[in-house]
This record gives sequence, C-alpha cells and structure tokens, in this order.
Amino acid sequence: MSAPTIKRTGRAPAPAQKPERGPGGSSIDRQRRKLLVPFVGPAFVFYTILFIVPAIAAAWISLNEWAGSGPMTFVGFKNYIQVFQDPLFVKSFINTLLLLFVVGAVIFILAFAMTLVLRDMAGKKVVRNVIFFPHLVNALVFGVLAGFIFNPGGMVNTLLKPFGVTESPAWLAQDNIFPLIMATMVATTTGYFTTILMAGVDRIPPYFYEDCALAGATAFQRLRYVILPLTWDVFGTCAVLWTISSIKIFEIIWVFGGSSGAGIPPTQSWTTAVYTYVTAFSGQSTPAYGAATASAIISLALVSVLVVLLRRAMRRDAIEF
Amino acid sequence: MTTLTPSKSETAVPPRGHRPRNRGGVSPALRAEHNVARSIGVFLLWVVVVVSIAMLAWIVLQAFRDTRDILASPWGMPKEFDFSNFSRAWNVSDFATATLNSVVTTAVSSTLCVAIAAPAAYYLSRVESRLTSGLSLYFILGLGIPAQVILIPLFVMLDKVQLTDSLIGLNLVYIGLSMPFTVFLLTAFFRSLPLEMEEAAALDGASALRTFVQITLPLAKGGILTAFVLLVVAHWNETLLALTLIQSTEKYTLPVALISFVQQQTYSGADWGGLFAGLCIVILPMLVIYVWLGHRLTEGLTLGMGK
Repeated sequence: MSAPTIKRTGRAPAPAQKPERGPGGSSIDRQRRKLLVPFVGPAFVFYTILFIVPAIAAAWISLNEWAGSGPMTFVGFKNYIQVFQDPLFVKSFINTLLLLFVVGAVIFILAFAMTLVLRDMAGKKVVRNVIFFPHLVNALVFGVLAGFIFNPGGMVNTLLKPFGVTESPAWLAQDNIFPLIMATMVATTTGYFTTILMAGVDRIPPYFYEDCALAGATAFQRLRYVILPLTWDVFGTCAVLWTISSIKIFEIIWVFGGSSGAGIPPTQSWTTAVYTYVTAFSGQSTPAYGAATASAIISLALVSVLVVLLRRAMRRDAIEF
Repeated sequence: MTTLTPSKSETAVPPRGHRPRNRGGVSPALRAEHNVARSIGVFLLWVVVVVSIAMLAWIVLQAFRDTRDILASPWGMPKEFDFSNFSRAWNVSDFATATLNSVVTTAVSSTLCVAIAAPAAYYLSRVESRLTSGLSLYFILGLGIPAQVILIPLFVMLDKVQLTDSLIGLNLVYIGLSMPFTVFLLTAFFRSLPLEMEEAAALDGASALRTFVQITLPLAKGGILTAFVLLVVAHWNETLLALTLIQSTEKYTLPVALISFVQQQTYSGADWGGLFAGLCIVILPMLVIYVWLGHRLTEGLTLGMGK
C-alpha cells in the first residue's frame, strides 16, 4: 500500500502536547504504562512476524542460491553480481530509474503548475476532487484500458484518422510500451500529488499574499519568496512518497496492453518489481529465489539511499507560521 | 479582510460600492493576475476534468455494449441497457466469487488492522519514554520497505504453515503489511486529540483502559474511520501479494480475477464487453466510497503534514 504520510522533519509536534511530568508521572501515567503489553503487543507481534521477519529473511535469502525447495547454498554476494550481469535486470533497473526520476520530475512540474493555477480558480474543489480519484483506482484498470485505447483499431487511431494519419505508429509494439506506461503513470498520478501540494499551499495564511500585494511583489517574486519556502517541506514529503511508491510499480506493467501472450509482459517494460516476481514465480524456469530477492533488496537499498538523501537535501529550518 | 466590529456595528459598516464585489470571500491579493498563461492553465485543467469524467462514464457505458459493437466503433453509445456483460462476467468468469472474496478480505483485514493498531497507536502517543520512541521508529521503518522485498519470504513462511492459497493467509498478510501505516496515522491522530477529557476521567477514577475505551475511542471516531477507509482502498486494490499467494480460482480476489480474465482473452478471443463489466466492478465501489467518504480520504492523506 502506498504510505501517504511521512513524518516531516523539523516541524513542531502537534499542538496538544502533554505538559511535562516528573519522572514518576501521575497515577494515570503509571497505570497507562502497564498497558504496554496488551496495547502494543498484538500490533508488535503481527508486524514483526509478517513484516520484519520476512524482511530480514529476504536479506538472508538474497545471499543464498535457492530454488524454493531443497537445500540452500550460501553464495555470498554472488546473486548481486549475477543480477547486475543479467541484461534483463539491468533493463528492469533502468526502467525503474526512469519511472522514479523522469516520471517523477514530470509529475512534480505538472503538479506544481496545476497547484498554482488551482490555488484561486473558481471551482477548485470540483477540479481537485476529480483529479484525485484515479489514485483510488487499481492501476490494473489503466493498463487494461490502454490496451483498448491504443489498439490498432482502437480509439486513438480512429481519432487520428480524420487528420490524415493512416499509418499510425504501432503504439503497443514491445519497444513503445514502456514510454506509454510512463505517460500513463504521469496522467494517473499527477492529480494525487497536486492534492497533497494544494493542502500545503492552502495552509499559507492569506496575509502573506496581502503583504505581497502591498509590497508590490510580482507573481514570480511571490512564488519565489512566499509559496516555495512555505511549501518546501510538503515537496519533501511528496518526493519521499513518490520514491517509495514508484519502486513498487507492478500491476500496470503486468497487464499493460492487455495482450501479454504467455502472461508475462515484454521484457522491455519490466521494472525491478516485475523482475522479482517473474524470477521467483513465473513457473517458466527454475525459480531463483536468491536472485529474485537480491533484486528486491537492491530496490530497497535504492529507496533507502534516496530517502536519506532527500531528507538531507530538503532539510531546512522549518518556517513556523 | 477582517473588519473589527465594535459594539455599535451599525455605525461601523464600511461604505458600500466602493470596491468590486469580493468573489467567494477571497481577498483581492489572493487573486492572481489574469494573464494568458493562466487562462490557458485554467482551460487545460477543465479539459482534464472533462476528459476524466468522460472516461469514467465511457467505461461504464461500454460495459453495456456487445464486444462486436465496441470493436466496430469504440466511440459508440449503448443501444439499450443490456446487462448481459455483467451477468456473463459475474457468472461465467467467476467475478461473483472474486467480488465476494475481495469484499470479505477487505472488510476483515481492514477492521482487524484498525482494531489492532488503535491501542498500540494510543499507547505510543500517550506514553513518552525511550521505549516508545524506539517502538514508533520500529513501526515507521516498515513504511519504506516495498512489498516485493517481503514477497518471497512471506510465500515460503506461509507455505510452511499451509496458509498459501488461503484467504486467511492473505488477510494476515494484509494486516501485517498495513500495520506500519495504520499505527503511524493513528499515532499522529491521537496526538492531536485534547488530553483534558482523559485527565478528567482519570480524576473521576476511571482506569486507563476504561479511559481509552470510553473517552478516547469515541473522540477518535473520525481518525479511526479515516484510517479504515484508507485501508479499505489499499486492500481492495492490492494486487502483487494476492497474485503471489492465491492460486486457485475460487479464492481469487478481484484484481487477480481481472488479470486472469485479461490473460484468458489471449486464448479465447477478446471479450471487451465482459472486461469492461469487470473494470466497473473494480472501480465503482471505490467511486461510491469516494463520493460518500471522500473528505475522510483526502484528510487522511494530508494528516501528519501539519494543519
């Protein structure tokens, strides 16, 4: 699942903070402390067994050669070296990076532009509600629809015909699928980030704008000195959210075009998530759990590095207003 | 644009007709200059809105058309409201079972997840110690781990206890997977609640447990509902884990059934009518939830980002 809220750095905690108490605490405090096991216990157990243990196990499996059943042989970092020598993985990894950076950049530019336009236009609530909705729809749907829209006899080609385009490009050719997926991702994800950015921009109190008007600031100056600094942390949050969710992109690629022959999408459009799934579960060759997990761990490493870097880069003195 | 109103407000009414009427209470400084670029932007935004709505309407309408009609003219309208696509998808392609599985799985896993996460989040938000801040960090850690990392170990683990190809197993996985997000969201929410009522309850001699059940939970209804709705959306749409863990047709959830339907088309010829009906079954519940509880969703997604 996507995790839409990430703790921000530097902001003051929520206003309703407890008053400071002595080391002993009040009686309700002491009583509360006794609830640790019954209250936190179940969540801790579920989370540890179903999330943390598998994550640690993944790190271990990635260091072994294993076909799922039978013996595991410890091979150290061989799987990692192997996947980087596998052209399929390299392609998947490049695709993941393309989604992360190129699609991410386009989404951000568009979302920010849309936020600026939306900020004070009439009917902004309607627009916002509509552009947010695709976020709630399974990405599978867009993949299937694309198959219909870009079909040789499909909607796009019938649309282009009156303009004299008879030799329309083979949209769903294996080499063209990935750019189409990128375009689809932009179209379906921008609204979500616009909504989040807008929440940040709406938080800016109106007197800042009034002050700008009084001081005779131009639109650009207002953007540069008021809107950007005051929404900087929201940008940071969005960047982290996109990093985490873009690494997981799987469904849309799995069905994109709808005509995926043996049930596996063409290798040109794979991402690391698809690579992991196919290497382990495709049933077409001996499952290589080690290599599959290694690919997943590489994605995790990518996310971790980027999130740390992002938080570093976006860290500024929080502006309280 | 606040006018301080003295007690004799009748005398302090500002002269009317002096400045242009204030549209929607937006201060003049808030309005952007109306230049060309902006007008184009506004226009494009409305185009996006219209296209999005048209797209959704189009999917629903196509679901009522014959596959041959759809292929002949993708822009056409249904001639009559023919439910045969739905009944075929529902009965022949097993979307009925898949829908039932999805509804049950989504409802059970989301409810249990909130029920398990809420007390934990309450504890983490109310007790301040090194242990709780460590625990909070431990839960947040999971937010950054993509599902494909735990996919294979989960499969192997569940296989050992015979919970693969089982909806119980899938429910358990969803609960575990959503735990970090739910705990995180609810902790932020509980922190935003006032403490006074709880303190009053404590003064009246209520135990900590009773305070939580009778005071905090009713106060937190909104936040809990928000978390629940977000979980419903996530679990309804979850695909990768369901695809991995479920193998038999009668246990498919909707996304898995949809994938298998798409893949069958390669062999049995395109059934676009049925496919569009399937898409509708996936999308429309989300639309209903959005129309009904939309503000909860957007609220939840921006909670924790400050006020």
